Order: sequence, then structure tokens, then C-alpha cells
Amino acid sequence: MTLTPSSRALLILCQIALAVFVLLPFFWMLSVSLKPATEPFAIPARLWPENPTLENYVTAFRPEFRTYFLNSLIVSGASVAITVTLALLAAYSFARRTLLILTALMSLVVLAQMFPHSAIIIPIYKMMRAADLLNTYASLIIAYVSVTLPVAVWMLRGFLLKLPVSLEEAAAIDGAGPLRVFFEIVVPLARPGIIATGVYVLIVTWQEFLFALSFTSTKEMRTLPVGLNDFIGQYGIRYGELMASSVMVSLPVIAVFFFLQRYFVAGLTAGAVKG
Amino acid sequence: MTTKDRWIIWVFLTPAILLMGVMLYYPMVGTVVESFYDTSFISPEPEFVGWEIYEKVWNSRQFPEIVWNSVYWTVGVVLLQNVLGFFVAMLLNQGLPAQGLLRALVLLPFVLPGVVTAILWRFMYDPQLGLINSIMIRIGLYDDNAAWLADSSTAMAAVIFVAVWKGFPFSMLIYLAALHNVDKSQLEAATIDGAGPWRRLIDVTLPSIKEVIVVNVVLTLILTFNYFDIVWVMTRGGPQNATHIFPTRIFETGFGQFRFGEAAVYGVFSILILAVLVALYVIVQTGANKRRRTS
Amino acid sequence: MKTLLTTAAVIAAVGTSAAAQTTLQFWDNQQTESGLSQFQQAAVDRFMAENPDITVEVTTIPYPEYQQRLLTAVQGGNAPDIATLDQIWVAAFAEAGAVADLTDFASSAGLSRDGFFGGAWDSAVVNDRLFGVPFNVDVWQFSFYNQDLLDAAGVDAASLTTFEGLRAAAEALTKDGQFGVGLFGHRGEDTVVVVNSFIFSNGGEVLNAAGECALDEPPAIEAMEYLQDLAQFAPDGILNANSGTMRELFLNGSLAIEFWPALEQPTLQSSDINWGFVNGTAGASGTAVGTFGGWNLAIFESSENKEAAQKFIEFMVREDVNGDVVDLIPANTAAAEAFLDANRSGPAEIMEHLGNAKPRPLSPRYLEVAEIQMTLFQDVFSGANVAEAATAACSDIDALN
Repeated sequence: MTLTPSSRALLILCQIALAVFVLLPFFWMLSVSLKPATEPFAIPARLWPENPTLENYVTAFRPEFRTYFLNSLIVSGASVAITVTLALLAAYSFARRTLLILTALMSLVVLAQMFPHSAIIIPIYKMMRAADLLNTYASLIIAYVSVTLPVAVWMLRGFLLKLPVSLEEAAAIDGAGPLRVFFEIVVPLARPGIIATGVYVLIVTWQEFLFALSFTSTKEMRTLPVGLNDFIGQYGIRYGELMASSVMVSLPVIAVFFFLQRYFVAGLTAGAVKG
Repeated sequence: MTTKDRWIIWVFLTPAILLMGVMLYYPMVGTVVESFYDTSFISPEPEFVGWEIYEKVWNSRQFPEIVWNSVYWTVGVVLLQNVLGFFVAMLLNQGLPAQGLLRALVLLPFVLPGVVTAILWRFMYDPQLGLINSIMIRIGLYDDNAAWLADSSTAMAAVIFVAVWKGFPFSMLIYLAALHNVDKSQLEAATIDGAGPWRRLIDVTLPSIKEVIVVNVVLTLILTFNYFDIVWVMTRGGPQNATHIFPTRIFETGFGQFRFGEAAVYGVFSILILAVLVALYVIVQTGANKRRRTS
Repeated sequence: MKTLLTTAAVIAAVGTSAAAQTTLQFWDNQQTESGLSQFQQAAVDRFMAENPDITVEVTTIPYPEYQQRLLTAVQGGNAPDIATLDQIWVAAFAEAGAVADLTDFASSAGLSRDGFFGGAWDSAVVNDRLFGVPFNVDVWQFSFYNQDLLDAAGVDAASLTTFEGLRAAAEALTKDGQFGVGLFGHRGEDTVVVVNSFIFSNGGEVLNAAGECALDEPPAIEAMEYLQDLAQFAPDGILNANSGTMRELFLNGSLAIEFWPALEQPTLQSSDINWGFVNGTAGASGTAVGTFGGWNLAIFESSENKEAAQKFIEFMVREDVNGDVVDLIPANTAAAEAFLDANRSGPAEIMEHLGNAKPRPLSPRYLEVAEIQMTLFQDVFSGANVAEAATAACSDIDALN
């Protein structure tokens, strides 16, 4: 669709406004991260420090930071993979059969996504302790998979319900077994749903705090959200180093999204499910 | 799927159902049971008290405030996040220059851990040191130090704003995907019929993505209702309970004051209220769809 | 056969030496931004050199997450052997049966109230039994002032030590974007301890000797009314401000007086501010009475290595060790004097303020009392009628029992 020059200009203005809205806090984060610890905060706030320095980055880029980053990647990555797999299997069952028991189970799944985490964390902790899993990746991955599963199942079921069943039926008539139908027909068609669900799991687990805090005790196992607390004392916050760490958390992720977004949006929209 | 192949669904279901049963239902049922016992850290011997704690919580001065705050917070965030997410998706779907870069940049807020987001914004809101007041004073919008988070009348709006800033990219992504699936020929037909952009939005785009809207709204409803980090770090529920919502109250009661029985009661109430919110939305939505179809 | 026997003997020997090696889990709160854990590790290494059969694993946990993590661990049956407990938690942990009775250990090890700050020692005593050994202490609050701002306004620092003097100074110091006094009122323990100290200094109490709420008694009401009035000279937005916010304002020279414990001194020493301090503010009682803060070392009931843990505690509070392992003030008075002489300005004043300080209510339900207090203080700072708000708070507090 072609745009008139004036509406095009208006939309570009909107884009600029959007960029400011999103980026202003990040700009300030960057500015604080470059401020020397000895330079006090100005009133009114200064957009850029007087004597910018990288000293906060030097302090913040400790070996621990790299460990936290790696831990976060491992835990989130594994959670995304496992949740999406389990959820896709379950969602397929829910989407392809209508049985009273399945309807009942599905309502239980929907209900489970409403449980507040702080109300169930101590019993889960006790189970992890009994299984001798505390302070391991496994404890976090199991917890994350469990708490993200309900929404993931529900999202994927929605996607699968809209896929045409005819392709699967045709394949079955051609003699394909149920597993082949699932892996060769359903999985490729469900790609947009899988990506959307994966993003959801990634968002939730990347920043999860409560479980990560309770289940890990040593520095070697901490994830980023918990690790950033190293800069928060009982009464004071080391803003410079905290913000430097936050910049370092954000940069690789922006880079990845920037290079992948074309593929990413394409993946989300592939299969062109008509609403 | 042929009848003899139907066993496969049970195989597919088992891992997910087992995991949810053990990791979510077992603890939650335990919490519900605990809510009928007067138990706290300092009196670990649970004493059965029936509905007593429920009555105590129900009649407390704080309870109506927490219910109201939770609804205000949830509805505010969900509404704004979805509207903003939708329009940004529209904006970044026009083939304008810098579209690719913006699509990536817009995702930034959601990769930032919640605790850091909260600390960053609490600082931005600081009446003296914060960037927001500094900008407002510079551009002459304001010459006084507004204390956004310290004033009961603005604190909730201020935390909602942050949650929307952090949450809208996710809604945007989902809407962006949905927009790709809107039938181009229908849009063109509408244009030829003389429909302006607004009419095309109402008549073609919105109806064809309505399932996605439902999914997005319900999803953000649930995530927002139980979202904890931002409010806790920015205000701890203050000032004067103005931003106390169920998750902060459950955390404060259980981990801050060691009263497990009461925390469990708040947990049960919170599930009930969230379920009511979701049900209300679904009812309103179905009603609206029916009216649209009959009209 | 012979080889077999030898092997068995070797295995047995290895077995016993492995059993004799005890590993202690020690959890500590990471109080501030200082590089304390380094020094602590040095002390722990020294302990392990003195006791080769004991290994100590230190876990340092940032303050915001410490309470929750400790509670989860105790509830989950996974408590460490030793941990530092905030003074205000000890009663609850003792009542819950989570920490061990140290009374007999203390008397056999020669640890007594005389060797420590009295208020700190008392915070570890529950029903006449000792459940912790004081590790470090501090007192809320000292009034740190900006000498240059005081000079410019013609205010004498000595005048800050009384209610009237502080108010007059705050008024004189508030002008042109400059704030007189760093009062804060967010929902947090630092708010509680500052308001408490004004109540204490005015002869009031939080709970009386019978354990009943005394916040609605005249001395407490008067002190809160005083603070309500004083708040007009504080920066905007005090209901969401904390001691950290005030520190940033003090450091950039826009705040004349801030309230902090002695812990603030290293930060000020490394700044360009020309600063000084006085001990709190005296009200009707004639003396500035601060609120005690600090941490006690406790051994968990679930620990299987209580004897080794006791050795470790004895070591950590020793006069020649205590000062190296804390960033607050050592709780061992002899160690404290040496520590203050070496690290803090005005050591005599600090010792005096510590000597006068009062602890917060030593009740297993303290955390609930504190929450009610926070609500009350937020009401006070937003202009509520103090007497009415205090009456409501007291009925909530008295309903706890």
C-alpha cells in the first residue's frame, strides 16, 4: 500500500517518538554507567557525565559476571527447549481429540497458570532438597519448565487448533504412522506457534528472580537477575557498576535480535495461518 | 489420526501432565490446606482453624485496598500494553525506513531483568535526581519536583507506566506476527471501496486478528496479575499501600513476616480473583463477538 | 591375606581422617559495597590454619535477598551451620526452634555481656537463654552535616543535637533547591530505626515493659508530631525515599544533614564533602538515644557440627579477629575501640552513642510490629493526625498477641 508523503512523515515522527520512549531509559543507563563513582549525581539530572570513564565496566566485567551470563543462557536455553517440546506434545493431544477428560485436564492447565509463585515456592524447595538438586542447573530448569508449561500448552493448543487437519489425515491415509505425521507435518506447520511460545518462555525465565534466588546458593550457580544484586547493599546501591552490568547484559541481546529479527518475524508468520 | 493411533495422545500428554501435577498442583494443594491452619515460622505446630484466617483477611482494612489495587494495576497494564503493542506493530509493519532496526531496538526493555528495570526507573522518577523531572523542568512543562512514586495519587500510574514500557514489546511481537496474516486482498478491496485507514482497521484488520487479541489479553492478564519484581523494588507496596497488590502482599506476609498461613490465604484469594478477571474478560469478549455477528 | 589386611587398615585410616574433617557452612550478609568478603576470607583462612580439621565454606549473600533465602533454607531443612542473623530476627528464629541455645557454650567459652555492647547482647537473649553471639553493631543515627552549608547559613553544628536546634537549623538550611534535613519515610527498616530514635530520645518507647504498644503515649506522639513538622524541610517525595536516596543528595551538596549509622563514614571520607557529625538528636529525655542495629552469629539447630561451629564463633568474635571481619562496628567492645580508632573519625562520640542506644522490641513478632510501624510512619509523614494514627497502630500491635 502506498502512503501519501504527509502520512509517511507523520508515521516517521511516530517512529522517532517510539524510539525516544524506548531508548531514553537506556540512554540514561549508559550515562550513569559512564559516571565515575566519585562524581555526584547532579540536580537537575545531567544527560551525560562530566568526566565519562569506563572504570565501572572494568569492575563490573568480573569473572562472576561471565559466569552469571553463562548460567542464564544455559538455564533459559534448556528451559525453552524442554518447555516447548513438552508443551507441543501435550498441546497436540489437547487440540486433536475432544474427550471429557481432556477438557477437564485443559481447565486444570489453565488454572495452574494462575498460581502465584511465592505461594508454592517453599514446597517446591523441599522437593528439590529431597531430590538433592539444590544449587544445580537442573533445579532451576525443572522449576522453570513447570511454571511456564501451562501457558505454553495453552498458547500452542490455540495455534494447533487453527492448523488444517486435512494434511494430517491425508498423510495418515498414505500410511504415515502417528509419530511421522507429528514430526513431518505438525511440527513444521506449527513453527510460528513454537517461536512465539519460545519467546514467551525466554522472557519469563531470563528475568526470573524468586526461584533463582532460593535454589542457588553459590556464586557459581547464580543467574544474572540474582547476580546483579551484588551491587545492592543494605542501604546503598552502586549505580555505576549496576548500570554498567545492565548495559553489558543488554548489548549482546540487542545484537542477536538485530541480526535475527528478519528470520524471527518470518518464522512467526510462516505458515500464514488465516485468523 | 486413525482410531488405532489414538494411544499416542496419552504418551504425548503424560510428561507435561505429570510435571504440572508434581510441581504445581502438589504444592498448591498443600498451600490451600495450609490456609486452614494457623501456621507461621514461630509456631511451626499447625493448628486447624477452619475459615478463621480467611475471615481475618477478608475483614482487614488492607484487603479491599489490595483487591482494588490488583484490579487497577492489572487492567491498566493489560489495556495499555495491548493497545500500545498493537499500534507499534502496525507502525513497524509499514515498510518505513529503519523498520528492521526499530523492531530489534523495541525489544530492549524486555531483555532487561525486572529488578534492574525497577531500580533504573525508580531513579528516573526520583524527584530531585531523576531524569523525568529534569526534562520536564528543562522543557518548561513543570517547575516543581513531582514525587511520582511517593504520592499515593500518582504511584500506581507510575508503576503501571514502567510495566507497560517493559511489557509492550512482547504484545507487539505477537501482533506483528498476526498482522502478517491479515489478508492483503481484503485490505485492498476495502481501499477501493473508499475505506480510510481507520475503517480498514475496524472492518478488516481487527476482525481478522481477534483470536490473537484474546490470546494476548489473557496471557498478559495472567502474567501481569502475578508480576512481582517491579512493584516490590520500586515501592514495596507503598506509599501507604497505594501500590500493594496480591503478589507483594503474599511475599511480604510469607517471607517478610514469616506468617505462612496468612500468606496461603492471600494466595488462594489471589487465584480466585484472577480467575474472575479472566472469566469476565472471556464473557465480555464472547458477548461482543455475538453482538457483532448479529448486527 | 597380608596385603588385604593392609589395604583394610589403609581404608580404615583414610575413613577416620575423612570423618574427622568437618565442613562448616557459614552464611553472611553482604552489608555494603565494601570489599569485605576478601578480609573475611583471610580471617577464615586463618581459622582453618589454626584448626586444620575444620573447613569453612563462606557464602556471602546481598542484603535484599538474605532474609528470604535464609527462611527458605530453614523451612526446607537446608540451613547452614552458622549464619549472621539481624538482631531483629533472633527472637523469631529462637521461638521457631531453628537456632541452637548457646547459653552453656557462652559461659564455658567465657563470653559474657561484659565483653560486648549490652544492647547487642540483649538482642540475642530470649527467655533468659542466649541464642546468638553479637558479631557487629551500629547505631541509627548520627546526624552527618555538610560543614560548608552550615557555615554559609550561619548554623553551629552543636545546635543540631536538640529537637529545637535541629528544627531551626533545618529551616535556615532549606532554600534555593537546597534541603535542610534528610528525613525519609519509605516502607523499610531504616525508616523505623530513625523514627524510633526520635521517640527514644524523647523518653518514649515502642513497646513498654509489659510488651504493650507505647506509641500512643505522649512522648512518642510528641516525637512523631515533631518529625511530621520537620518533614517540610526534607527533600520532596520522602514516602519513597530511603537512606540511600539521601546519601546521593548529601554527596552532591544539595542536602545539609543526613541520618546514617557510622557505616556511612567510609563513603564520606572518599568524597569531596567537608563533613562532620553529631550523635543524634536529644528530646525531652535530654540525651540522644539511638536505635541499635547489627548482626549476631547463630548456630542452627539442624547443624551436625555444633562443636566446630562454636569454635568458629569464638574465633570470629575474638578481640584480634572481630575487627577484621566486619564493616559495621565489632560487637566485641575491646575490638570496637581499636577498630574505631583506626577506621572512624570521632571514635569517642561513637562509643558514647553506642552506649546510650536502645534495641528495637525484642519480640518474636517484631517483623509484624515493624510493618505496623511503617504504616503508621507513612501516615504521619503524609500529614495524618498523629494521635489518631498512633491509636490505630497500637490497637493493631496489641491485637498481635
